[in-house]
Amino acid sequence: MSESSAIVSARGVVKRFGTLTALDGVTLDIEPGEFFGLLGPNGAGKSTFMSLISGLRSIDAGTLTVSGAGVAAGSAKARQALGLVPQHIALYADLSAETNLRIFGELYGLSGSRLKARVSQLLEAVQLADRRKDLVKEFSGGMQRRLNLAAALLHEPSLLLCDEPTVGVDPQSRNAIFDYLEELNRGGLTVIYSTHYMEEATRLCSRIGVIDHGKILAQGSIEELLAQLPFEEEIRFPSLPETAALAGELAGNGELATVDGVTRFRPRPGYALSTFYTLTERHGLPPRLFTSQRPTLEALFLQLTGRMLRE
Amino acid sequence: MNPILVLLRKDFSLLLKDRTSIMITFAVPFAMIYLFGLIFNVNSTDSGPSGIPFAVVNQSDNPAAAKLVEALRTEKTFKVITEVKVDAKTTRPLTEADLRPEMRADRYRFALVIPKDVIRNDAIGLHLKIYSNPRNDIEAQMVNGILQRTLFSNVPELLGQSLQARARSVIGDARVSRFNGSIASAIAREFGGDEAEIRSRIDDGNFGFDRLGAGSGTQSAPTAGVQDVLSRIVKIDTEQVAGKDVKSPAATLLVGGWAIQFLLFAVTASATALFREKEFGIFQRVLSAPVSRSDILWSKFLYGICLGLIQLITLFSAGAILYKIDIGGHLPLLAVVCVFAAAACTSFGMLIASISPTPESARGLSTFVIMLMSAIGGAWFPVSFMPEFIQHFSRLTLVYWSMEGFSQVLWAHATLAELMPTLGCLALTTGLVMGFSVWRFNKGRMFV
Ligand SMILES: Nc1ncnc2c1ncn2[C@@H]1O[C@H](COP(=O)(O)OP(=O)(O)OP(=O)(O)O)[C@@H](O)[C@H]1O
Ligand SMILES: [Mg+2]
Repeated sequence: MSESSAIVSARGVVKRFGTLTALDGVTLDIEPGEFFGLLGPNGAGKSTFMSLISGLRSIDAGTLTVSGAGVAAGSAKARQALGLVPQHIALYADLSAETNLRIFGELYGLSGSRLKARVSQLLEAVQLADRRKDLVKEFSGGMQRRLNLAAALLHEPSLLLCDEPTVGVDPQSRNAIFDYLEELNRGGLTVIYSTHYMEEATRLCSRIGVIDHGKILAQGSIEELLAQLPFEEEIRFPSLPETAALAGELAGNGELATVDGVTRFRPRPGYALSTFYTLTERHGLPPRLFTSQRPTLEALFLQLTGRMLRE
Repeated sequence: MNPILVLLRKDFSLLLKDRTSIMITFAVPFAMIYLFGLIFNVNSTDSGPSGIPFAVVNQSDNPAAAKLVEALRTEKTFKVITEVKVDAKTTRPLTEADLRPEMRADRYRFALVIPKDVIRNDAIGLHLKIYSNPRNDIEAQMVNGILQRTLFSNVPELLGQSLQARARSVIGDARVSRFNGSIASAIAREFGGDEAEIRSRIDDGNFGFDRLGAGSGTQSAPTAGVQDVLSRIVKIDTEQVAGKDVKSPAATLLVGGWAIQFLLFAVTASATALFREKEFGIFQRVLSAPVSRSDILWSKFLYGICLGLIQLITLFSAGAILYKIDIGGHLPLLAVVCVFAAAACTSFGMLIASISPTPESARGLSTFVIMLMSAIGGAWFPVSFMPEFIQHFSRLTLVYWSMEGFSQVLWAHATLAELMPTLGCLALTTGLVMGFSVWRFNKGRMFV
């Protein structure tokens, strides 16, 4: 394993909480410089995996190495190379933004002018420079999120663990965060990013692991993942009494699933879409009822689990 | 900087932003020390309760009875009431019949009736009637005590008269007369003065207490003489108290007790803050840095010691101003005891946080245990007030041992060697309790 170049390498990692198996044989390799997405619904095991990588918890079975060393050892050097953005706002709410960053910087051994410079740089980067003296508890949720991210970057880690860092952030700040993370990633930072938003994973990640119930169901680049889907197009329409007959006729020409009042039709390969539209005309159904979509990670998740990503 | 110091400084930064904690740590115990100092009359020249409404009905025409009423009026403990309202404008003198209804209406809780036969022939002593509605035991005892003191010191002739009257009824007028006569002539012979005047004073039951006050020979103001007797007698009292007060044992215990109690609250709150930091995920962040669990616990421990040292020294300084506790010469040893006491208190806070499943249960448990320890450990009133079997338990509290240390240093002027048993006791407690707490923290869910 030591000859592997991976920065994080998991082999059959198991983590249990009592009788609950939170991670069930996770095997993954994350290469230096990757922007790796961990995509899964609530309770999938994303945070648990992050906590194992950052050495907060011990694993029950399997092996997990970070930068070639077992995390259980939890060496100061390994920790120094790692930045964690916890899922919760892990800041001292009663202290100012600047004081918070100063404290976390100091915990990583920064001091003096370098600490000062890094604090200013990061406040600038997350657009909080003008609020540096304000108490964190007076910040909006989005501002707290941005500071939460900044606090993990002071010591310039080479591996950044982001556990759902954009919950409750408005689209504008979210884009700012994305841009910043992408910039850092281009500069060589390895990022592991957990989310249950497939849009985020799609935009940011060079590789994605789909996780559910503690198991990695699929991993690879977006293209590789979507190629696993046995269809190229998905047609959705509301499941109404007047569409019931159409649905009946479609069965046999592909996959048909109704979730939340929406029927999804995934034609088998080779099925001509013109045939489909002829059918809808024959049933007297207006075109506005139908949307067609390229397959998405959402569809992949549905395919893999029979459930939607967000329920 | 060492992570422990970073976290320690963080806790102080948080304290400075937290007015409630500062109040609980410094202002509240100060207020308690001040209040209880007043209540227990700790080394202060002007204190004790004042203005307690006190009804007085004087049915006697004995001049000494009128003098007693006047003396009571000058007693600041009492607000003497001798009249009752008829309507908005007019009042009339209070009678004994008024007392019950007035007292039921809670206009006052204590009343004194001086009956016609205040001097009785059938028994030694005065015949006084005291009505009371002692809602508050301590108040009732205080009132009784001050009433007695006023009687003995301001109107001793009442007692003298009672002795004379009793003597007349037992041994007969003629013999008493002869006795008084020979006493008077003996006094005149030995000390000088007019034998007839001395004789008439003795007949009035005045054994010359007021002469004590008239040392300079000014006879112009007899009441001033009586006042002076009072002050002479009470002065003997206060001089004794003041003599001990140079070392202020009561004040030392008062300050030490309340300080320790609120230090316990403060350090327990700080240990319980671990729950909040856990909940906010701050431990995830801190522990993913090159910081260990024991760094976190050590920083809390050091914080408690520093806070305790600052708080105890501050409050003892306040005690030095309020009660003249002499801390100046003992500062180094006092600081040593403070450190050991604060360490023990902090370990207690850590124990509470480590065995409690939630911050709420920690708060409930700590409040209960701190109050209990303070009560039986002697923070509220001296341990010697308590039944013997409770006194055994006192020694099981760290409040007791901390206060023991304080009074050893400030009162008994103990040396470091003499302090060793007390310090050892505190250190052993700290070690055991911290060891257990750390073990609990590591086994429990605080850090995972
Ligand atoms: N400390 C813990 N004790 C017991 N069970 C836990 C603990 N932490 C997580 N779990 C359980 O482990 C499973 C995985 O939780 P985890 O927090 O890793 O999910 P997640 O993917 O991060 O979910 P979310 O998107 O909601 O954050 C869940 O079933 C959760 O209940
Ligand atoms: Mg999570």
